[in-house]
Formats: sequence, structure tokens, C-alpha cells
Amino acid sequence: MSRIATAVLGLTSLLALGVLAVLGLVVAPPDAFQGDAQRLMYVHVPAAWVAYMAFLVTSVCSGFHLASARGSLRYDRVAGASAEVGVVFIALTLALGSLWGRPVWGVWWVWDARLVTTAVLLFLYLGYLALRRVPATPQVRARRCAVAALAAFVDVPIVHFSVTWWRTLHQEGTVFNAAHDPKIGGVMALTLLVGVVAFVLVYLYLLERRYRVAVLEDRLEGLATLAALAERRESGASDGEALDAELGSGARR
Amino acid sequence: MVWLLADALSGNLVYFRTVSEAVAEREAATATEDTGRFRLAGAVVAGSVVPVPGGVRFDVTDGKARASVLHRGDPPELFKDGVPVVCEGSWEGSRFVSDRIMIKHGADYVPPSVPGPSS
Repeated sequence: MSRIATAVLGLTSLLALGVLAVLGLVVAPPDAFQGDAQRLMYVHVPAAWVAYMAFLVTSVCSGFHLASARGSLRYDRVAGASAEVGVVFIALTLALGSLWGRPVWGVWWVWDARLVTTAVLLFLYLGYLALRRVPATPQVRARRCAVAALAAFVDVPIVHFSVTWWRTLHQEGTVFNAAHDPKIGGVMALTLLVGVVAFVLVYLYLLERRYRVAVLEDRLEGLATLAALAERRESGASDGEALDAELGSGARR
Repeated sequence: MVWLLADALSGNLVYFRTVSEAVAEREAATATEDTGRFRLAGAVVAGSVVPVPGGVRFDVTDGKARASVLHRGDPPELFKDGVPVVCEGSWEGSRFVSDRIMIKHGADYVPPSVPGPSS
């Protein structure tokens, strides 16, 4: 992505966040029951959905990587970058949810199916990120991480359906629920939509930036390997000279 | 370790019992059995909230059964008539004694209703 395009994306996402702030904090009405605490929903829900999306991108790219015979690392880099951004968003989801839970539920945290599976999701992808740091050749690392990403993604539908499959304190989906009947409308629904758009833009910007860094990291790794090889060759050459000198001209081929 | 975690959390898969379920369980239990500590969920019956020294008394219902609750301590901020709650505690006789109340928020978001021009 060109520098200008990236800058435009960054500015647009900032703008979208600004619009969201105005809508979410000022224009949208407070909830009849929860009051102003409900406004957290305009960031908590988009954060969760974008996190799912980020992990989906990681899985799709991981799948493409495993399926491609050429072994190009581009899919692997996107997968890694997307997972890292996804971890940020899911951690944000948990933090914002907790901030909401305290005034509304009365507690910061409960061990119900929704919260537990979401926390598990965070740790699964933290594990994935750790796996990316385990020393290996780029090809081996990419294959290993691709498999891990696909395995970790199994938790995403579990998190989403946890409020339907099990009895939880966390409420069922307002937009996506078993009855297919969205329970939000008007300005509140619009604000939520703006929230989703803004967070998707932020995700795309962060993804692009992280991908850039991944390209540079790989280049650095490649250069470091070349430098190490060159050094080995040199020291090998000087060892050879020393050996020849010792054994006399008879050793020379 | 996964097993330990799963075992500890499996009790939370069914996060609470409804009033009907809890009452049925209590009535089915024999004199020596103890239904133990669990979470009871229901809506606060309007007009049933009575402050007592050290806590508050109120009734909860799930539309079918009704139970009387004694909560020790202060209820959370959003607690009032009609609100769906989850109370943590246990049966003591026919009364549920709780030490923790959580408000169960539904999935709907409703702006405050504004009286129309006719009212």
C-alpha cells in the first residue's frame, strides 16, 4: 500500500472515530434502564466483532498458505499481523465489557460461558503470537503457525453462540440472536453501525502498518542470515589457509 | 490442568436456576439433603422490596413460581421493582438467603420514553 493511501486510511479512521465519539457520547440517547453506562456498548460490541473478523482473516490466510505449493510467505505475514491486531481488539473487548459490567451487573467479572470462552480466545491467540517467536526457518514457522491459527479459530463460533447454547449472565445478542430479531433501533442502531465502520477502518490501518513491519522484520532476518553465512565463509577460508600453511604445499590441490 | 479448569467451570455452564427450577429442587430434596450454594434468577416482584436491618427483603418470580429472598448487604445501583436479578446464595428453609445480587441485563436497548403531545 502506498504511503499516501496509508495516510489517507489512517486519517479516515481517525475521522470515523471522531464521528463515533460525537454520536456515542452526545447524540445517542441514554438507555432507559442503564443510563449512560450503555454507551460503552458502542465500542465494546464493534471491538468484539472486529476481533472475530481479524481472527477470520488470520485463518483464511493460514489456509491459503497451507494450500499454496509455492510457499510464498505473504499469506503468513498477513495472518500474523491480523492475529496481533485481533488480540488487541479482543483484549479491548474484555476491558470495556468489564467497565460496563460493574455499573450494570454490579460486578467486574463473572465466570459464565461467554466471558470464559472470550478469555480463552485471548489466550489462544496470545499463544499463537508466542509461537511465531519460536526460532525456526520461516517456512517451518509459517506452516506451524498456520495450523495453530486454524485450531484456535474453533473458539470463535463457540464464543459467539455461548449465550445461546448455555445459560449465561451475559445477555443474548442484540443484533445477532436466535430469534433473528434485532433489539435496537433508531439513533442507537446508527451509532453502533458507525462504531463498526470506524473500528474496521482502524483494524485495516493497523493491519497495514503491522504488515509493513513484518516485511521489514523478514528482510532483517534474511540479511542477518546472509551476514552470518558470509562470516562463516570468511572464517572457513582463513582456517583453510592456516591449515595449508601447516601442512605445507603438499596439501594444496 | 485443562481437566481441573473444565471441572471447576462446568458448574457455571448453567449459570443460574430459574425460580421454578430452584423451588422444585428444594421441594424434591429430603430433610437431610442440602441443595447447596447456587444462583437464583428472577424478576423482582413490584412492591415486594422491604429494607431490613443489614439488608433487604424482596420476592422474585419467573412468571410461574415465586420465592422470597433475603439479601445481606446493599443491593447494586440498578436494583428496583421489576428488574431481572441473579442472586447468589442458598436456601434456608423456604427463604433464599443471598449475599450477592447481579442485575441481569436483557439484550434490548431502549431510549428513555418521551411523553407525546397528547399526554
